[in-house]
Order: sequence, then C-alpha cells, then structure tokens
Amino acid sequence: MDRQKVLLFGAAAAVRLLLFTAFPSLPHLLAGRVEVSTPVTSFKRLQEGLFLYTHNVSPYDGGVYHQAPLLLPLFSLLPNPSYYPFATNVLFTVVDLLGAQALMQIADSGQSVKTRLFESSRKELRWSSLAMAAGFLFNPFTIATCIARSTSALTNLFILAAMAKASQGASITFVFAIAIASYLSMHPVLLFPPLLLLCYHVRASKSASAPSLLSFAIGHAGALASTCGGLLYVSALLTGSWEFMRATYGVRLLLPDLTPNVGLWWYFFTEMFDSFREFFLGVFWLHVASYMPGLTIRLRKQPLFVAVTLTGVFAVFTPYPSIADAALYLSLVPLFRHLFPLMRYTFLASATILYASFLGPAFYYLWIYAGSGNANFFYAITLVWSLGLSVIVGDSLYAALRDELDVERPELKGKEVKRI
Amino acid sequence: MPSFLSLLLLSIILATVSAGSDYTERLLLRPLPQSALLASFNFRSNDSQLSFEEQNFRYFPRSLGQILQHAHTKELHLRFSLGRWDAESWGQRPWNGAREGGTGVELWAWVEADDEDEAFSRWLTLTNALSGLFCASLNFIDATKTIRPVMSFQPEGDHSNAPNLHLLHGTLPHEVVCTENLTPFLKLLPCKGKAGISSLLDGHKLFDASWQTMSIDVRPTCGIDGHCTLEMEQSVDMVLDIDRSKRPRDNPIPRPLPIEEIKCDTSKGYNAGDTCYPLDKSSEPSWNLTEVFGRSLKGACPLTDQEGENAETVCINTPPERTVDVNTTGSYIESRAVGDTLRCYKLPTGHDFDLNLPSQQMTTGLVLPSPPLSAARSINGHGQERGSIQTVITNPSPTSAVEFVYLESLPWFMKPYLHTLRARISASPENPVLETYYRPAVDRLRGTHLELRMRIPAASTLTLSYDFEKAILRYTEYPPDANRGFDVAPAVISLIDPAASDGRGQYVRTTSLLLPLPTPDFSMPYNVIILTSTVMALGFGNIFNLLVRRFVGAEEVVAGGGGLGALVRGKIDRLKGLLGK
Repeated sequence: MDRQKVLLFGAAAAVRLLLFTAFPSLPHLLAGRVEVSTPVTSFKRLQEGLFLYTHNVSPYDGGVYHQAPLLLPLFSLLPNPSYYPFATNVLFTVVDLLGAQALMQIADSGQSVKTRLFESSRKELRWSSLAMAAGFLFNPFTIATCIARSTSALTNLFILAAMAKASQGASITFVFAIAIASYLSMHPVLLFPPLLLLCYHVRASKSASAPSLLSFAIGHAGALASTCGGLLYVSALLTGSWEFMRATYGVRLLLPDLTPNVGLWWYFFTEMFDSFREFFLGVFWLHVASYMPGLTIRLRKQPLFVAVTLTGVFAVFTPYPSIADAALYLSLVPLFRHLFPLMRYTFLASATILYASFLGPAFYYLWIYAGSGNANFFYAITLVWSLGLSVIVGDSLYAALRDELDVERPELKGKEVKRI
Repeated sequence: MPSFLSLLLLSIILATVSAGSDYTERLLLRPLPQSALLASFNFRSNDSQLSFEEQNFRYFPRSLGQILQHAHTKELHLRFSLGRWDAESWGQRPWNGAREGGTGVELWAWVEADDEDEAFSRWLTLTNALSGLFCASLNFIDATKTIRPVMSFQPEGDHSNAPNLHLLHGTLPHEVVCTENLTPFLKLLPCKGKAGISSLLDGHKLFDASWQTMSIDVRPTCGIDGHCTLEMEQSVDMVLDIDRSKRPRDNPIPRPLPIEEIKCDTSKGYNAGDTCYPLDKSSEPSWNLTEVFGRSLKGACPLTDQEGENAETVCINTPPERTVDVNTTGSYIESRAVGDTLRCYKLPTGHDFDLNLPSQQMTTGLVLPSPPLSAARSINGHGQERGSIQTVITNPSPTSAVEFVYLESLPWFMKPYLHTLRARISASPENPVLETYYRPAVDRLRGTHLELRMRIPAASTLTLSYDFEKAILRYTEYPPDANRGFDVAPAVISLIDPAASDGRGQYVRTTSLLLPLPTPDFSMPYNVIILTSTVMALGFGNIFNLLVRRFVGAEEVVAGGGGLGALVRGKIDRLKGLLGK
C-alpha cells in the first residue's frame, strides 16, 4: 500500500516536472489561456504584482494584480520565475501532492458514506483512497492548473486540507485551513458551516459526551473570524494600507475586469445595461450564497456531501471560475462512488463536459485569433460547460437524497419514487 | 558642411526673434527633398503681466486670456497635429520638435492650485473651456487620459513667484484635426487671417498636408528688471507636397503623364516604346505661394514692426543659386543672410505679394541637419487577446551619447506587464534604463503612466519592448466603430541635452498606434440575459426543487391526485364543508 502511494506520488511529480522541463513554453502558454488563468488567479499577474512589490510600487494601486497580499512575500522568497522557474515549478508540484494527500485523508475517514447520524445502505461500494488520489493527480484539468501555476491550486489545496481536517475532527487545523482558503479567494468561506457540522459530528462520535452544537459553532466561528482578521491585519501591515481589500475582494464582488472565463458572469456583465449592473451583481452573489443554507439544512446528516456540492456550485456560479474549480469538484465527486448507480444523467453530463472541453479552446481561437467567429461562440460553450457541471451537481444531489430515502424507508428501495 | 553650419546659425536667428516688440510674425519656407515644402508660420504677441491681470488685453486674445485666468493656468501648451514627420528624408524637425504634438490633440499646462484635487478640477475647467473655444473634443480629456509627467516636460516660462504649480498632461489621439479647429485658431491672431502671413492659411491645403501641426503656447517671461510679460506663441508647421497642392481643386485626381512626356531611363534593358523606367526628377519643381497655399498673400499685417528684423516676415531657405522672383505691385525689401541661403522679405502693406520659383536644374542642395534621435514604435503579436509594444530608438550620432526621457501614456484597457519590460542596446550588454517612474492604470479610473530615463550610446540602437493584455470592455464603452480599434497616444521622447539653451527642449514623438480590442456581439444584450438566466434558473430550480420537496413511492401517490384537477376538487370540497356548517 505504502509502496503504491510512493509510486503514485512519484509518477505524478515526475509527469509535472517532465512537462515543465520538456516544454519550457508550456507554462507560459497555459498561463495565458482564459480557461485556466483568470484575472484573480493568473500567474502572470502574480509576477507583475511581485515585480511592483519588489520595486516599492503598491501592486494594489493598479488594475492588474487582484490576488492576496501574503502571496507576495511568499513568492518573493523564490528566485525570479522568469529566469529560474525550477523552484516555482517544484512548489506547485508539491502543492498538488499535498492536495492529493489531503484527498486521501478525506477518503480514508469514510465520512462520505457513514457519518454519526447516517449510514448509507450502499456503503461497501467505494473506491480506494489511492484511486481517488490518482484521479486527482492525473486529472488533465489539475495538471493544466499546475503547469499554468495558477494560484487557484493553492486555494484548492487549502479547501482539501480543510475538508480533511474537518473529517478527522481536528478543529484548529480545520479552522486555519478554511481561513486561508477564504483569505485567498473569499468564496470558500461558504464551506465553513457544512464543514463545521462535519467536524462536530466527528468530534461527537469520538468522545462520549458530545459538546453543545451552539457553543461549538460559536467557538469555531469566532476562531475563523479572528484568524481571517489576523491574516487581513498582517496583509494591511505588509502593504501599508487597506487598499488591497478593494483590489482583491472588491474585484471579486464588483467584477470590473471582464476578461473571458468559463463562467457565466463575464459575458452577462459585458452585455448588461449600466443601470442594472449593481442590481444583477447583488442577485448573482445572493444566488451563489443561497445554496449553502438550503443544502446544509436539508442534508445536515451528510455535511461532507454538502461541502463537495458547494465546490461544484463554485465551479459554475462564482464570478471568476476556471477549470481548476471544476478539477477540484470532479476529483471530490468519486468520494460518493456509492451514489453513482442512482444518478440518471451521467452520460449526458460527461458528454457535455467533454464536448465543452474540446470545443471551448477551438471556439475561443475562432473568436480571438481567427476572427471567423464572434464572442457568442465562446459564450455558447461556457453555457454548455456550466450546464454540464450543474447537471452533475443536481444529479448527484438527487442521488444523495434518494440514498437517504432508502435508509429512512427501506421498503422503497429499488422502487420508483415521486417528488411531492 | 558650411551650409550645415549656416543652418544652425539660421535656427538661432529664428529662435531669437526678439521679444521686444509686442507682435511679430514670420513665415519660413524651406523646400525639402521629393518636392515637399516645409512652411513654418510663427506668430507671437506679448502683453505685460500687469495689464493681463487687469484684463487689459491688447494683442493677447481676450477669450483665451479669460479662460487662463479662470482656470488659474500659468503656462499652456496646446497642439493639434496630423500626419507623420518623415525624419529620414526631411531631417530635423522644426523647432527641434518643441512646437509639435502627437497625432490628434495634446495639451499640457501648469495649473496653480493648493492640492492635487483642486489642480485637477481646474484642469477640467480648462479643458472644457478650451473645448468650446477650439471646437475640439478637449472635454473628453478626463481622469483616464490625464497624467502628471514627472520628468518629461519642463516649464518654458519664469514661474519664480508661483510656488504651487501642477503639471497636467492629456492627449486625444483619436481626435481628427480639421478646419473647424483652424478658424478659432486664426481668430486669436490680431490680423485674423485677413492680412499678413496668416492670410495664406487655408483649411483645404493645411489639412491636406503630409504633416501639419498647430500649436499654442502661453508662458510668462520675466526680464532682469523684474518686468514680466505674458507671451503667446502660435505656430503652424506643415509639409506640403508641391505636386499635390498645385492640383486644381476642381480636378484633384492625379493622372499619369502621357508617355512621351516622361523621361525614361534608356539604360534599362526593358525600355521600349511602350514601357518606361522613369528617371528621377533632378530638377526642382516650379511653384508659387498662391498655387501651393490656394490663396494669395495679402500684404503685411500692419501691426508688425515697420523697421528692423521683425519687419521681414517671409523668409525662404534655399541654396543661393535658386531663382526666386517676387511678384507684387507694392514696394518690398529683400535681404539676404546666412551665406545667402536665407532670403527674407519685408512685405508691402495693402498689396498682394507672391514668390515665384521657376523649375530649375540644381547643382547644389541644402544639407539638412539630421535629427538627434529617430524612433519607431509598433505593436507586435496577433490576436485580440494580448500583444507587445516594441520601440526602436536610434542614435545616429557617431560620437555622442544621448540621454532622454521616454513617456508613455496608455489607455486603461491596455494593461502592460512591467515585469516583461526589456531594454536592450545593440552590441552592448549594459542596461540603458537609468530611472523609471510607473503609475499603473486602474480600470475605468486612470490610464498607465510610464516614464523611463534612458541613455543610448553613440551610433547604437535601443530596443524597448513589453507585453500587454487587452481588456474586454462593457458593450456601452465601445465607440460606434468598435472594430476599427482604439488609438494609443504617441510616446514622447524628450532629450536631456545640457547644450540646448533656448529653454524649449527637444522632443521626438512616435506615431500613434491602433489597438484592436476583442468585441462582444453588440446585438445580443437581451439574448445573453435570457440565456444566462436560463442556465442559472435550470441549476437553481433543479437543486431547490430537490431540496424543498419530499420523496414518496410512486404507487403511494393517489391516482389523479396531482395537478390542477385535484387542486380544484380540494377547493370545492372545502367550500362544501364551509357551506354545510
């Protein structure tokens, strides 16, 4: 087992480092792809921010750098990636390997099939954690994100770490990881309530006397708030002012940069009438946030499933999604292997995803380079991509609810059901 | 070489047209190679600072004066330009480039204000007022097109008694300069285009020129005695194509000469009765003022000096052997200077004046001074996503290095990556960049401002390049001709030359660039709103439908229990129950 893991991790690292060294122009090419790098995760923009930071110009007093301030001192420790890319490449490879390690911990915890309050009737249907890690490490989307050195790889790592720690009941590291993920890209804060519930369940099942849920929640929320506040305060100290808030979270909230990406927001707000822009920004953000309470309440017995579904929602409905978000979701879905027999549209969804993955770059080329297509070509493919992912999200949710029903009412197992 | 020296002398003479009198004007004509003609018009008027402050305007135009007072502007430079100066064949720029602007409109001014916000609000006042005065879109110079240069521009006037000056600079590279800008320009002159050299300025010819620039410069000058005057200088420089200008207005289409009239190079093998390799014309073309300017010169402006050097208002700079015939009914005075290469004329008042230069075979020519630097800027790369700018600056001097400041003012939707900035000198590993000033753009709020102080060794070429990314705009932010692209203002290169002492500096400007941006489909807003909302509604509806409904077995549902019928039946039952009570 251990030998296999070493082999797997070694192979994954070798593939990445080989791609980095054998195709030195590949990172640059991928970093320029709109599907991989968004304005808030692009490595080229990070380099620009680093350049300005090391030359004593505030990187936030400009329209290019929109990433978290603490990335600046971290990456300024590494040698300049324009000339000595090796250290950065190794860093991103290690980030992926750590993510895979966290994913294995989630899978090993078994929280996907058996929680304190719920035990699936199909729980023997599982894939090994090694297979899960392999699915993550050799997912082409993950590899592309790693080669493009997009900082969403870091966010993904901390989301995975938060899930892993929550499913082990390790409060402190869980709060710390979710705080860093939220600090890096803001929307992971929505994962906090389901993961808090998960952490609570694990802790309650481990100890004889379960702590009160309310005091547990308040304590952890306070810890999260103080950790985030601490991170923001250190950032303000580092950059000398609070203007980074407007340039990082403000950009995610208000979408001033309409660079195309695989999401639904950019073309909508390119074409939006000026007087309705603020209204629809509010509606879209509310829409993203609205999934969290509904899912958490309805599926309170399976909080890990809620967290995974939320990462799928993020991959579709956040302002700057990329294939990195989809890679995270698609690597987490196999945790629920036992739900696959209950899913109805697997062929449709996977065909849609494949269709969009191949036609997306082609249509983008037609629009931007060949000039034989217009913006609608790429827009249409982002619609298909979003539709495909939301079909997976919806379908897996159906399967999860059906699975819960089978436990509640075993007599209905295998029978046709209706929703009323 | 003697003629080269004489040209230097000439420029000094022209530059020192004394500020003693209150109004002077001068036209310098200089035939250039390839039958081009440079015409430099220069008008200067002085008013004492005291009378200006008391609103006593004599030669200084009241309309402009009151704008300057209202906007607290102490020094003003306004440029309207078109075309490209061909430095390879025309040599050094007139006034060393100090009286020209980039393509379109360029404005910079020193505004007196306590802080930056007040300076900017006064700058907006100034641009809006000037916009009305010159019928130009200067009011579109907003925060995104305004920069505050730190190294490139130095004040020309004396500002010892005004401590809180703010320099602001704005450009409109897309502005098309045309006759509606010339009319207000001429109205500022004391003779208003009715007499004097300004009577030659005709919109049709001026804006048909290969290159033209109109400038207005206002600056305070103070003598040693502490007496200050406000000097306003207006100049028009243009390069006319003589052949093109001579075409009659009713028949402007050039037609090939009949083959009998073309001189053929008979040494070429394929020369035959019906084919021809035309010989270069070696003779100077014939022209006169009325033909090339489309108007006749209506005698001297009576407000100019009647005596002395300033009375000679028309000068022509040709080799001494060139025949220049004067055609006038009045009395004129011709004087020659600078080894007879400069002939100046004192015009008769009230009589038409014309210079007639017949076609002539020349044996000597003027040596045109070569420019201190030549610069070319272009956009590299393809596609509408990203690209890179490349500027090639050449120092032709074999002996001396040149130090200069390179200024770029880029629109916000062109996002440069400064970490990709590379400056290389041919055949030398040293870094030419001595100092950098960079203020990055903020989306929709301000443009990029980049200034580089650089040094380029003798006889070498500097290549400057950086990558940029093109932003996609909101569909309302595109102009009606969105697919034409957006204009990027020319780069301004100002030389740091300790030898130049005329206080105006030396400038070289590149041409403006055309930047194509990706465009959305402008006919789509409703479709996009509908389609995107549909996808979101599908996701949201599906998930919330699952969340709020309950699963039951299919056979547990009462047959016919769903739908409208059951609803109506339920209502009826309820109503019956109520009535039965």
